[in-house]
Amino acid sequence: MKLPDWAREPLVHFIGLGALVYLALTWGGMPVDPASRMIRVDADQKAQLALGFERVMGRAPTDAELDARIERYVREEVLYREALRLGLDQGDAVVRQRLVAKMDMSASAAAEVADPDEAELRAFFEENASRYADALLVSFEQAYFSSEAAARNAMSRANGGEETGEPISLPRRVENERFAEIQIRFGEQFARGLAALDQGAQWQGPVPSGFGWHLVRLQSRKPVAADFDTVRDRVENDWRNAQIEQRKQRAYEILRSAYRVDIAR
Amino acid sequence: MHKSWVGLAAASLMTIAVAGCSGDAALDPAQTGDGENTIELAEFPDRPYWGDTHLHTDNSIDAFGFGVRLGPEDALRFARGEEVTATTGAKARLSRPLDFLVIADHSDGLGATRRLYDAPRWYVDWVIGDETVLRWYDLMHEGPEGSQQAIAELITAAANGTLPESFSDPEQAREGTEDIWNTQIGLLDRYNEPGVFTAFAGFEWTLMPDGNNLHRVVMFRDGSDKTRKILPFGGIDADVQQLWEYMASYEKETGGNVLAIPHNGNLSNGLMFEMTMPDGSPMTSEYAARRAKAEPVVEVTQIKGDGETHPFLSPNDEMAGFGVKGWELGNLPLTLRSTPDMYAGSYARSALLRGLSLEQQLGVNPYAFGMIGSTDSHTALASGDEDNFFGKHTGNEPANQGRAMEPQNLGTREGRFGWHYLAGGYAAAWARGNTRAEIFDAFKRREVYATTGPRMSVRVFGGFDFSASDWDGDWVRAGYTRGVPMGGELTDAGTAPTFLISALKDPDGANLDRAQVVKGWVDASGAMQERVYDVVWSDMDKRPRTARGLTPVGDTVNRADATYTNTIGAPELRTTWTDPDYAAGQRAFYYVRVIEIPTPRWTLFDAVRFGFELTGDALEDAVAQERAYTSPIWLKPKGAGAT
Repeated sequence: MKLPDWAREPLVHFIGLGALVYLALTWGGMPVDPASRMIRVDADQKAQLALGFERVMGRAPTDAELDARIERYVREEVLYREALRLGLDQGDAVVRQRLVAKMDMSASAAAEVADPDEAELRAFFEENASRYADALLVSFEQAYFSSEAAARNAMSRANGGEETGEPISLPRRVENERFAEIQIRFGEQFARGLAALDQGAQWQGPVPSGFGWHLVRLQSRKPVAADFDTVRDRVENDWRNAQIEQRKQRAYEILRSAYRVDIAR
Repeated sequence: MHKSWVGLAAASLMTIAVAGCSGDAALDPAQTGDGENTIELAEFPDRPYWGDTHLHTDNSIDAFGFGVRLGPEDALRFARGEEVTATTGAKARLSRPLDFLVIADHSDGLGATRRLYDAPRWYVDWVIGDETVLRWYDLMHEGPEGSQQAIAELITAAANGTLPESFSDPEQAREGTEDIWNTQIGLLDRYNEPGVFTAFAGFEWTLMPDGNNLHRVVMFRDGSDKTRKILPFGGIDADVQQLWEYMASYEKETGGNVLAIPHNGNLSNGLMFEMTMPDGSPMTSEYAARRAKAEPVVEVTQIKGDGETHPFLSPNDEMAGFGVKGWELGNLPLTLRSTPDMYAGSYARSALLRGLSLEQQLGVNPYAFGMIGSTDSHTALASGDEDNFFGKHTGNEPANQGRAMEPQNLGTREGRFGWHYLAGGYAAAWARGNTRAEIFDAFKRREVYATTGPRMSVRVFGGFDFSASDWDGDWVRAGYTRGVPMGGELTDAGTAPTFLISALKDPDGANLDRAQVVKGWVDASGAMQERVYDVVWSDMDKRPRTARGLTPVGDTVNRADATYTNTIGAPELRTTWTDPDYAAGQRAFYYVRVIEIPTPRWTLFDAVRFGFELTGDALEDAVAQERAYTSPIWLKPKGAGAT
C-alpha cells in the first residue's frame, strides 16, 4: 500500500521509537516500572550539571555547590516520578493546557529550525509579491521656503535653473533614496506631495511639509521591481511564521483524523 | 492502520521538540555578526537613527504577570513598523518604524512567571514547595486582576529582598534562561537587516537594593556568533562591579563589545549617582574608570518619568520638572520615600556635575555619560507617541479606558496614578548607517541623545573657531573637522568655546519653542554650579527676555478635542553660541535642551477618545512641552587627560 508523504519523511522514522516509549510511559496512567525507582547520576549527568552552573556563574562549581545541584536534581526527579505514579497529572486543567501547548509548540519548533530551500522561498515570495513591492527609489532636488507666499513667488519666476530657497537642515539633493527614507526625513505630508509630482527637469510645487513649503525637481522615480535577494530575510521570517501556522494545523489534522467525534444534537 | 498513523505523527512532533533549539542553519553572515562592511556608509553621521533600548516582552517576569502575551518576535515586527495585535486585542502599529531595538527582558527569572503559570499545580505545591509561590500561582490563574496583584507583590518582594529562592537563584533558573537566550539571539539575527533595521541582543539586569532602582540595560554589539557563548547575567542582590566583571570577561573571551545603560535614576533614591562607592567608602579612581568605561550612556527619560533634573536641584530652571510628579515621591515600589537630599544622586544633570567634582579629586570622571530616552514598555510594543500610547504594561493598555485616572501602585501603597506615566521616550544615535556596529559605536562615543518621544533632529558641535558664517557652507563637515560632536571633549585652549547648534522639528510633529544650553561647572572654590541659557527661540524679535524669563511661546492646544496647530514656534532653530561666562581652566559640560511648543499628552487623547473628563492635577498636566536632551560636550583643563 502507498504511504502518505509525511510518513516517508526520514525524521518521522528516526523519532518514532523514542516517542513511542515516551508515550507508553506517560499516557494512560500506566504504572511506572519499579526499575524507574533507580536514579542514576552518572559522570555525564554530573558534567552536565557542572557545565550549567558554569555558564551562569562564569566559573566551575565548588564540590559543595555541585553536590547541592545534584541533590536538587534528585529531589525534583523523585517528586516528579512520584507525582506521575499517583496520577497527579490526570484531570489537572493546567497540565492539560500545558500539554496541548507543548504539542502545538512542537510543531512550531520544527518550523523554527527548518532550513527552507531557495525554491520554496522564491515561491513564497512570488505568491506574496504585494507584501514586498514597496521599494521605490527617488532622486530629487528641493528648495525650502518658510512661507507659502515666498514659495509661490519663487515658483512664478523659477525656470529650470538653480533655486536655493531658505536654509534648513534637510538634504538639498537626494539620490536614489528609498521612499521609506524620504517619509522619515521629510515627513508624511511631503512624501504624499512628492508622490503626486511628475518626473522632469522643471521645478514644481510648492509641496507642503511639516517644515513649510518646497519647490521640487523630481529627477527620477524608479519603482524597483521587488528583488528577492534584497528582501530574502524578510521573506524567510514571513515564510517561517506561515509554516508554523500550517504545521500546527497539519499536525492537528493528522491526529484529528484518527478520532471519531460524536456531538450530541 | 489509523493507530500507527497517530503514533508516528505524535512521535514526529515529540522528537522535533527535543531537537527544537539547535539554532539557525543558513543565515547571511551579515546578519549574524556586528554588521561591519555590510553596507555603504556615509562620510559623516547622516541622520539620527531612532530606537528603543528598553523593551520588555512576555519573557520578563513582571511583564508576563501583568498580562502580556506578546513575545520577542511580535516586538521586532512592531518596531519594524508592522501591525501586530496587542495582548488586549487592539491592532497596534507605529506611525513610523524604528531603526533599532534592544529587547531588554529582566535577566532575573527570565521566563519564570511564564513557566510558573504553565506549570501543573502539583508541581508548584510539591517540587517548589513554597507557600508564597503557590499563592502567586493561584492568583495568576484567577484572572488579570489576581495576576497583577501577584506581580505587584513579586516586585515588592524583589525590592525587599524576600523573593522566594526559585525566583532569585540564577543557577536554578538556568535551564529556562538558556533556552530563551539561545532562541532569542537566533531570532534577533533573523530580524537584523543591515541598512534597514538593527536588532541588538541585550537584557535588563535588575539590581534593586531595598527597592531603590539601580537597573541596567546591557546591550551587545555582536551577533549570535559571539553572544551564544554567554548567558544573561542575573542576581538582584549583587554589586554593580560584578556586572562590569561579567562584561569585561565577555569582551575578553569573545573579542566582542558590550555596554550597560543605567536605568533612569529617578527611582533610585539617590543611589544611582553616588559620590562614594556602593558600600559608602570613598570612591577610588579604579572604580570611577570602570564605571565610565562600562556605562557610557544613561537613560534619562522613559514611561516611569523623566530624570533630567528636579526643580529642587535647579530652582532657576523654569523648564525643570517635566515628568517629575509622582515619581519624585520615593523608590520603585514606594517602600522608601524620597527626601530632597537624595535628588542629587537620582537626576542626570546633578550627576554630570558630581562627575566633574569627582574628576577634580580622582582624575577620572565616573559620570561622563551621554543621554538617551527609551520606553521601558512591558507590552512588547515600543511605542513612544502620545497619540499611540499602549501603556506601561498590559493592565493599562488602551483597553483599560480608566487607566489615566486609576491609582497605579506597585505594592499596596498610595501615591502614583496613571496620568503620572509619560508616553515614553526614544534614543537617537548619530551614525553613518544602520548597523549594529555603527549604532553601538555611536553609543560608545556618546553621539546620542534623548527625546521624550518626538523625533526632532538635534546637532551640536563644540570648537574654538566656529562663526555664524559656517552656516553658509557645509557646516556638518565644519563641525566634524574643526570641532567635536555631542559626546565629545574639548581641551581648554584659553578662549571661550563656541557651539554650532541646530534643532530641526519632528517632520510630522510640533514646532519648536526654544533651544537652550545647559552648562554645568565647578567654580574656583570647588562648588558645583549650573546655568541654563536660552540661546535661540522662535520669533525672537517678538518674544523678548524679561525679568521672569523668556516670553512664553503660547499654547494652541484645544482641550476639547486634543488638537494643536503649528501656528506658533519654528520648524528649525539654529545658532552659533559662545559661552559668555567662560573662565580659563574651568571644568565644564554643555548640553543642548530643545523644547517643543505645548502639545496634548496621552491623557488628553484618552479623555477625548473615551469621552471622560480629566480632573484637577491630571487636567493641568494634560498638556506639556516635549523635549530633547543631547549628550554633553565636556571642556577639560589642559593636561587633564581623557575620560
